[in-house]
Amino acid sequence: MDLSLSTRTEGDRTIVEVGGEIDVYTAPRLREQLVDLVADGKYHLVVDMERVDFLDSTGLGVLVGGLKRVRAHDGSLRLVCTQERILKIFRITGLTKVFPIHASVDEAVGATE
Amino acid sequence: MISDPPGVVAAEDAVTARPGTLPMRVLLVEDDEGDAFLVRELLLDAGSDIDLVRVRNLAEASGAIGADVDCVLLDLGLPDATGLDGLRSVLELSPNIAVLVLTGLADEHRGTEAVAVGAQDYLVKGSIDGQLLTRAIRYAVERKRADESVRRLYASEARAAENARLERGLLPQPLLRNNWFRVVPRYRPGRHQSVLGGDFYDVVECDDGAVFALIGDVAGHGPDEAALGVCLRIAWRTLILSGADPDAIFGAMDAVLVSERSTDEVFATVAMVRLDRADRMLRLWRAGHPLPVFLEGTTVVPAPVGEPGVALGVLDGHTWTPVDRPVAMDTSLLLFTDGLIEGFDGHPGGRRLGELALYQMLAELLQRGLDHDLLLDELLIEVRRRNGGELTDDVAAVLLTWADRE
Repeated sequence: MDLSLSTRTEGDRTIVEVGGEIDVYTAPRLREQLVDLVADGKYHLVVDMERVDFLDSTGLGVLVGGLKRVRAHDGSLRLVCTQERILKIFRITGLTKVFPIHASVDEAVGATE
Repeated sequence: MISDPPGVVAAEDAVTARPGTLPMRVLLVEDDEGDAFLVRELLLDAGSDIDLVRVRNLAEASGAIGADVDCVLLDLGLPDATGLDGLRSVLELSPNIAVLVLTGLADEHRGTEAVAVGAQDYLVKGSIDGQLLTRAIRYAVERKRADESVRRLYASEARAAENARLERGLLPQPLLRNNWFRVVPRYRPGRHQSVLGGDFYDVVECDDGAVFALIGDVAGHGPDEAALGVCLRIAWRTLILSGADPDAIFGAMDAVLVSERSTDEVFATVAMVRLDRADRMLRLWRAGHPLPVFLEGTTVVPAPVGEPGVALGVLDGHTWTPVDRPVAMDTSLLLFTDGLIEGFDGHPGGRRLGELALYQMLAELLQRGLDHDLLLDELLIEVRRRNGGELTDDVAAVLLTWADRE
């Protein structure tokens, strides 16, 4: 039930590295982090999920909420994920149509609309 | 036993549960030195087993009130609070602690007012002895505890009533005119809550004999999600009964979700099937929901993926495209929510169950030749056993079978 969060900046992108389990218990911390970043004027986010072990629907909701927040400021939220079991969750829920998903942080940082 | 002002409270006292034999801790809020001295002496004289901590005003009291305090003795004439305002502040600080009010002879009427506001009792200074004071404190504490239990009982009764109401809304009676289908539903709320979560299902038969079934899951857990689940299910039933175009139903439910949800993070996954008895065809619409599975003899086959639609409440103007598949007579269909596959798989390393392990479990149960009611019960038992206890998330599962199968 552990979630680790850290952020760093690369150019105009803010990278949020998430590790552990994003579930009903830990998702509020991720939400808080995303809300704080947007409040801080950081509208181009890259959420690195390579170290995420588990993601449930509450966690998905937080990512969807984050996306809506940055879009309200013409921003973007990109995901970095190559783990099949996490990718599968995005596919099942149809969210691959909503989030740009990249194979590496570099790719996500370099990506433009 | 009487100790001196706060600060001397031993840390372990603050966290230890207090059996009845331990001294009671009483916080005296009194600015008058003489009156404070008197209370101390009275308790000493009576040989009371009371641990008295004294503070001089409301500001000090707010720092000294904690879980280790059993009772507050409050003077109504404090320098930083007039009259009953002091009492109101104390009650706000410590809604679970007994409060006894001290009044002077001249303002005894304020005592009754204090009880009306929420104090357990009042004592008139100068007309109490040690025995009476000790007894009043013990009585106030016991009464507060009794009130607390009654309040908790009411709260749990209210929760049970709320549960029953939501349960009726979320877990309906299937609306079947004929007996062509057997519907076996199961629902288990997750372990973290006493109310239902946001999983829901429904089954409705139309005039033309087609049967529609729905399963869904509002992301998140709790009464808000459950209420939204009820809302979506009723919307779905209404749309089906009114003969709406099935391809337009998810769009309408999406609009309902967007207008009824509490925050824009909330989304829902749903799957809907139409089973036609005449041509034994199944049509599946899916909005971000896990794939239903077919049970064919002893084989478990996931439904066709088709074009995966997005969950409700995520994208504006999305459309959902169905996928078709023939369904043989000896085939059953299992609809479920992700709670069923998100538990642990029982192996070291804390992996999650996932669909494949679920399919395997189902195949093993089918080989045992279980009746469908038993099959779902056994499946839920096995999933919980693998998880190592009650599941975190809610689980809803519906098994649909042709009733006229040979």
